[in-house]
Amino acid sequence: MFKYFELVLLAVLVSAVPTARAQDTFQRIGREATPAELRAWDIDVRPDFLGLPPGSGNVAKGREVFLAKCAACHGAAGESNAMFTPLIGGTTKEDIASGRVKSLSLRTTSERTMFMKVNTLSTLFDYIQRAMPWSQPKSLTTNEVYSVLAYLLNLADVVPENFTLRDITMAEVQQRLPNRNGMTTDHGLWPGASTNRGGIGNGGQPDLKIEACMSDCRTEIRLGPPLPESMRKAQGDLAEQTRAFGPVRGTSPRPN
Amino acid sequence: MICLGGKACGLTSQNGVIFSIVTDRATCNDQRQHMNRTPNQLGRLRPAPEHFLTDAEIMAVKAGRRDFLRTSLQVASAAMAAPLSARATEGDPVILQLPEWTTTAGRPVADRPYGTPSIHESQLQRRQLRGLSKVAANSASFTPLQGLFGIITPSGLHYERHHQGWHDIDPTRHRLMITASNPAFIRTPKVYTMDDLMRLPPVSHIHFLECGGNTGTEWGNAMVPTVQYTHGLLSCSEFTGVPLRLLLEHCGVDFKSARYILAEGADGASLTRTIPMELVESGEVFVAYGQNGEMLRPENGYPLRLIVPGVQGVSWVKWLRRIEVGDQAYASREETIHYVDQMPDGRLRQYTSVNECKSVITSPSGGQTLISHGYFNVTGLAWSGRGKIRRVDVSFDGGRTWRQARLEGPVLDKALTRFNIDWVWDGESAVLQSRAIDETGYVQPNYGQLRSVRGSRSIYHNNAIQSWEVLPSGEVNNVQVL
Repeated sequence: MFKYFELVLLAVLVSAVPTARAQDTFQRIGREATPAELRAWDIDVRPDFLGLPPGSGNVAKGREVFLAKCAACHGAAGESNAMFTPLIGGTTKEDIASGRVKSLSLRTTSERTMFMKVNTLSTLFDYIQRAMPWSQPKSLTTNEVYSVLAYLLNLADVVPENFTLRDITMAEVQQRLPNRNGMTTDHGLWPGASTNRGGIGNGGQPDLKIEACMSDCRTEIRLGPPLPESMRKAQGDLAEQTRAFGPVRGTSPRPN
Repeated sequence: MICLGGKACGLTSQNGVIFSIVTDRATCNDQRQHMNRTPNQLGRLRPAPEHFLTDAEIMAVKAGRRDFLRTSLQVASAAMAAPLSARATEGDPVILQLPEWTTTAGRPVADRPYGTPSIHESQLQRRQLRGLSKVAANSASFTPLQGLFGIITPSGLHYERHHQGWHDIDPTRHRLMITASNPAFIRTPKVYTMDDLMRLPPVSHIHFLECGGNTGTEWGNAMVPTVQYTHGLLSCSEFTGVPLRLLLEHCGVDFKSARYILAEGADGASLTRTIPMELVESGEVFVAYGQNGEMLRPENGYPLRLIVPGVQGVSWVKWLRRIEVGDQAYASREETIHYVDQMPDGRLRQYTSVNECKSVITSPSGGQTLISHGYFNVTGLAWSGRGKIRRVDVSFDGGRTWRQARLEGPVLDKALTRFNIDWVWDGESAVLQSRAIDETGYVQPNYGQLRSVRGSRSIYHNNAIQSWEVLPSGEVNNVQVL
């Protein structure tokens, strides 16, 4: 028993060595961050709403801010495809009820708007606060961020026209996001611990297990449709995009 | 020569069987005839390497004229017979008439204090994929893989992906802050200057960096003409910096509670991504200031970026200003609205991060034309986010038969690996493919296999086998074998 405790103590000491060494060796390197510095940069908002600043904003105020600062890129109703992927569109009242955006599985549209994908309201608050508007990121006040988000939620039919979004109502509103049940982490592309071990995903198991065939692997070779000629032409003169000597040349444009 | 011809001949006869559905059957005899018809000495009679093929000859190749080389010999002979250059009949004019670089003094040292490539290399540039984005500060430029050698990407040709444009940050005003979502997870949140970080003991590692959206245009169909656009969101560099674990230990992070980190940039987007603490604890993740022996380039995160080996580029946060340790994932915009992989049932895979084993032949490749029949070194790159490359196989017949390629140079963990293989092109149609296998035994899938589990609307993480079709004209096209 005594020896067992000794071993445990030894293990604790050994595991504590790196931390102790870093703190002892690297003296006069770095300094403690001040509370004001932490506040200035710690702006992230997590899915459990940790980091969400207190505040509120309504749809009407949000429309005002959005038209002034956001509509030039996103369109007055967040529908524009002129600069970025549309924010609004592609979701239905049925989607809001089910929490799954049906059109994602129907192949009815190739366009995927923001509201067709997002499942966490914290993500939108966090992103608007940190990165918007495009040319003046981080210039919105906290209440302007709430307002713009309220306006977008109204455009997406998630909240009514007279709605005021508050820090304490965020979780409730999230329960109406049209794709809130549309995410999965059941895959092998997360490089950390699996869901079973408190992490994400299946622990790195690939979704394909293939044998490397060396001969007689196929009986026929069928090619897919050729590259659309418009796509080839869109990238300019390929002859100018490959070195002018060596075993190959860039292929010159085909005569029309 | 005989040995090479013999090997190629065996392959060619296999090719012939396979391509009997699309082109003439090539036989061993055909192969030997091709080789007789195009003796290697011919090239030595041509005017100069830079003008190996005249415009007329290139047109002849395009038109599929099988006898173009014989014609070019006749033309060359005629030119040599011309009275104007009697000396040319004795050999190559660029040998016989000394060029100006041999007969004049050259330029002084430090003429260009920061060296730049030859003016003859202007074709190889980072290029935007036209039609990809309407806002150039929220876009990508692609590395010209078709012309690069070895495994290191020249820093000036490293691909770019910016989410809100790039800045050239003043390093004396750049700070790295290490914080925690809960004060209990860290003994002392700290601020580091570049002076601080560059005093610490550094590591240098070579790793590939691939955008999760690389090859994203190709999920449904062949869509872009060259390897620069199909695979050019890919680079590989030697990075130098400080292991993040060391910094977290220095701050007294509670590794038992804090199982995730959030990495955040100093750009307008202040882009954020979640990274598992396991990768930090393994010592792999580091904060880098050096790239290929110099400081990072501004477009690649100067003066500080995160290195997350094996993981897609978006997590290698550029202009790194803050690391927060925490006890849950952050669902940032780049892991909720973008960089989510759509499955056939409409579900979006979230937190997909690892780049699985993949390879591509970089030369010959789409948008190129082979300059003659005969020998080619087919070359390409292979990589895996799960470790080292174990083997690369190449097919010249669309995946019916495969031969093992030679791995050239260092085979490193989560780094590009160069492969080469001999090929004697007989002038027939061929479909070139490469297939990589990593040290976990994972085999790179073909499009049929990948689409069977992922559909064709995923956008991200397309690691399917790339096919290049070589036409009898010598033209190489991007195709997909179904």
